[in-house]
Amino acid sequence: MSTTTPTPARSGAEKAPGGGSPQGAGRRKKRSMGKQNLAGWLFSTPFLALFAVFMLFPIVATLVMSFTDFGQRNVRKPMDANFVGLENYTKLFSDDQFLRAMFNTAYFVVVGVPLTIGLGLLVAVLLNNGIDRARTFFRVGFYAPVVTTIVAVAIVWRFVLDPSDGLIAGLGDELGFTAPDFLGSETWAMPSLIVMAVWRNLGTVMVLMIAGLQAIPAEVREAARLDGASAWQELRRITVPLLRPTLLYATVITTIGYLNVFEEPFVMTQGGPSDSTMTVSLDMYFQGFRFFNMGYASAMAYVLFVVIMGITVLQLRLMKDNTK
Amino acid sequence: MNRRATTAAIAVSLASALTLTACGGSGGDSVAADAKQTLTVWAMGTEGEKLADVAKVYEKANPNITVKVTPIGWDVAHQKLVAAAAANKLPDVMQMGGSYLTEFADMGALEEVDTKTFKEKDYFPAGWEQGEYDGKAYGVPWYVDTRVLYYRTDLAKKAGIDKAPATMAELQTAAEKYQKAGSKYGLSIQPNGLDSVQSFYQFLYSAGGQIVTKDGKTVANSPATVKALENYTSYFKKGLAAKSVRPGYDVTKDFNTGAVAMFFGGPWHMGLLDDNYPDLKGKWAIANVPTDKTSASMAGGSSLTISADSEHKAAAKELVKYLTGTKGQADWFQRTKDLPANMTAWNSGDLANDPKMKIWKTQMESAQVSPAQPKWSEITSKIDTAIEDAAQGKASPKAALDKAQGEIEGLVQK
Repeated sequence: MSTTTPTPARSGAEKAPGGGSPQGAGRRKKRSMGKQNLAGWLFSTPFLALFAVFMLFPIVATLVMSFTDFGQRNVRKPMDANFVGLENYTKLFSDDQFLRAMFNTAYFVVVGVPLTIGLGLLVAVLLNNGIDRARTFFRVGFYAPVVTTIVAVAIVWRFVLDPSDGLIAGLGDELGFTAPDFLGSETWAMPSLIVMAVWRNLGTVMVLMIAGLQAIPAEVREAARLDGASAWQELRRITVPLLRPTLLYATVITTIGYLNVFEEPFVMTQGGPSDSTMTVSLDMYFQGFRFFNMGYASAMAYVLFVVIMGITVLQLRLMKDNTK
Repeated sequence: MNRRATTAAIAVSLASALTLTACGGSGGDSVAADAKQTLTVWAMGTEGEKLADVAKVYEKANPNITVKVTPIGWDVAHQKLVAAAAANKLPDVMQMGGSYLTEFADMGALEEVDTKTFKEKDYFPAGWEQGEYDGKAYGVPWYVDTRVLYYRTDLAKKAGIDKAPATMAELQTAAEKYQKAGSKYGLSIQPNGLDSVQSFYQFLYSAGGQIVTKDGKTVANSPATVKALENYTSYFKKGLAAKSVRPGYDVTKDFNTGAVAMFFGGPWHMGLLDDNYPDLKGKWAIANVPTDKTSASMAGGSSLTISADSEHKAAAKELVKYLTGTKGQADWFQRTKDLPANMTAWNSGDLANDPKMKIWKTQMESAQVSPAQPKWSEITSKIDTAIEDAAQGKASPKAALDKAQGEIEGLVQK
């Protein structure tokens, strides 16, 4: 920021010793910027080198691999892989399991994202205004799932969902209803994983929202209250519009996260029962590491990448237009 | 970009790059067996941990050798081995099961076994076969395992069952009787999920069925295989077995409470039951797989392999010779209760006298090995799906296997 809009004091100081024309100041500024650039590049080199080796190279290698039949035989002789053109991509769209995985992933996003954002906003508003006592306790409580390892989370949720001696099943026995076999049923497995994911990701959204809420000037709220706005009106007319950039950001990252959903089905169901929780990332992992069809898995990665890119661009467009 | 995909790409492409630049370095010079050297060994799970103790014993007897054992978890083993194979950084000696071995032999990462030193006739046929690929031996059998029927003898008395079920028909009657006497499920078999095929093998092989024959013919929907799946799924249809089992289900827990009266288990279940449920001692027994056309179980276990790139092949061979020889095998059984792959080891101590061990031995003699197919795990995943569809009643066993047949044909290497 300081390089593009110099503060008045600094530009004054620059002008003073030279005392000359504005052009002189401009030239000097350019030269110092060159130096800054060099230093900048030097400082960035370690990162850029790592980025090139560990990000850029694999990304390109994956693209190349997606046009080959790279399999386990090619592990020791990568140059023996055959170029197969678009075969992997055309195969994907007649692969029932992949199509099912696409559908499941869409299901996860369509149900999961609104729930996460909605509940995240609700919790943030409550914690920001509603609850005065034990606020820190609740903030930590809602954020704890985010930093808990998935293995621990899985153990807890398996206990909650277990149909024979789980928490919900036990509650059912007390209250006289029969809990479904959540993870063993094709109907319930996906919703169960979504609930688990929402619970895990709520904290991230909540933190973002609280930060956003605290950036809203108190005067605006006070003015609204003086004018007699109800809590609901305040939320709809003031909080949500002023939070729009935060909401947009949270929605985009949550969507990307859910399009990539992997850990929940991996630890809880392994994609079952009957592929009902098979997601694109999980399918890709199985193809890549369990069956070692690397070329095919790479093609999946790129299809998923294009979908994520498309949806993100769309979201940014839609939300931007609304602000006008 | 997706994290897994990135990891995948990193592992493979980085490894490939290393292969390209570092070629010619390894595999050339080899060190003599009696020279001072360090052998690197990778083994999985419990075996990996126990092998470190054996390594210390071995080092004492062979002072010129330092054995460095790295235990690796089963969950990461495949990934680690593939990455190491790509980078020409495989350890000198590795533990490998049948499906891994086929894959790595196919990659050209394994050294052929010297059949002058290691004789086929010394080992269980099923153990030796697991180390073979394409007519050549790449692994020396280290330990074998198979599945037998575990059943509750105390509950059997109450249910009016006086002996272990000897035929498949008797197995089903026993399951019904157990259930009438109060067990929730008569038998525990896997209805869905990864590797449910492992609990299906007992039914499949006993019915005389197969998935792929040794010469590469797909027979996933043959009458015998269909019959086996019909028998298997009848337990779910009649409510004799749980229709839904989650990943990580521990059958011994329900076996202890009596909720499950019978299950097919491996040798390690004996230790698990003794250690975790000492009160259950004397209330359970094992029996051979009930006969259908025959009584045949699956053969599992691990072989020891030597990396094709190893510079210590001579010393590695000596270590493998010790571990798979009579003395080493008997010692290993004492430490782990893994079933020795070397048949002469069965002639002494507990192995010769314990009646339970005799059951394992007879089961092992007829146990069947999965065919050496490089894409075996992908092939069996199609059978997992067929089992699940049939168990849930989504398709008839015949229809489910017809679908699998078509998919498997494309994966089989002839």
